[in-house]
Amino acid sequence: MYRALGWLESTAFSTWMREDPSIFAFPGVLTVHTIGMALIVGIGVALDLRILGVARGVPIGEMKRFFPAMWFGLWLNIASGVALLVAYPAKALTNPVFYLKLTCIALALVLLRSIRRRLFRDRESFVDPMPARLRLMAGASVGCWVGAIAAGRLLAYTYTKLMTTW
Amino acid sequence: MAPFQVWLVHALSTASPAVARFMHSVWGWPFAESIHFIGLCLLLGPVVMFDLRLLGVAKRIPIVALHKLIPFGLIGFAMNAVTGSMFLMTEPDQYIYNPSFHFKVLFLTVAGTNALSFYLIPWRRIGRLEPGAPAPRSARIIAVVSLSMWMGVIIGGRMLTFYRPGVCGPAGPGFLAECIPRVRR
Repeated sequence: MYRALGWLESTAFSTWMREDPSIFAFPGVLTVHTIGMALIVGIGVALDLRILGVARGVPIGEMKRFFPAMWFGLWLNIASGVALLVAYPAKALTNPVFYLKLTCIALALVLLRSIRRRLFRDRESFVDPMPARLRLMAGASVGCWVGAIAAGRLLAYTYTKLMTTW
Repeated sequence: MAPFQVWLVHALSTASPAVARFMHSVWGWPFAESIHFIGLCLLLGPVVMFDLRLLGVAKRIPIVALHKLIPFGLIGFAMNAVTGSMFLMTEPDQYIYNPSFHFKVLFLTVAGTNALSFYLIPWRRIGRLEPGAPAPRSARIIAVVSLSMWMGVIIGGRMLTFYRPGVCGPAGPGFLAECIPRVRR
């Protein structure tokens, strides 16, 4: 395992991410990760709020139109997240908080998928207040996103190893 | 500019010992940072959706109905104003002499003025629109400015750490004071 991480750190891309002074290397990728977060979490939480009863004048089925922006944010974050992981693989993979972050994100995405399926299967059937089960899922989704963000922030403070050779 | 910055750094660093003590505690800074990022999402979600709607996405959602999400964006903004001030009061020289922070404040100011102009110019006309009618041109321009400025705010915020000012040499700070002058207190 350690050998594999060491090899990953020695690849050209990993080295470029860590050492290139260009703002498009590490700083740029980190910025993209933040913009992607704003899109997926921001719109996701707004959808959750709508389910919980905010802005009832918004036809819930039409919220579907904002999903492409959310998926765009998700793909930005998968790509930038992988790049950040390749830059410092040992830093993340030896930190339990990183797995907590991934778990929160996975739960949030599963919730989002199942909210989406229920919500848009037959859009006429939902009137406010939304079914209790759906509202519970929306509440849990907010909780998962908050957990993912807090865990992500804590990564900078809780790692014990920056690199395999460090 | 430089004397003003020196004054500002001094004023901020002495503003609240309680905040500084909290921020220097083990979990103080990461806690405030987490709130800052959660607030960012709470703000950007409604703002991006509203701007996209003005630009013609999800036309069947009444603009006035979607606007009911904006107060949550304001809660997000308030969370960020509070935690942002806490960062400033704890490490003022890391921000006041940081070019990335200067740009962040500039973008924030434009974003704020732009939002204000939305309520002064097209807002009343939007209330009288037929359902599904396109937003007035002024509203669409404001939406584009808003999206770009908030992206700029995020970029400026994220780049802060990569433009940390060093301590000034004997020549002192330049025009925008991008280094920390040595000041006798």
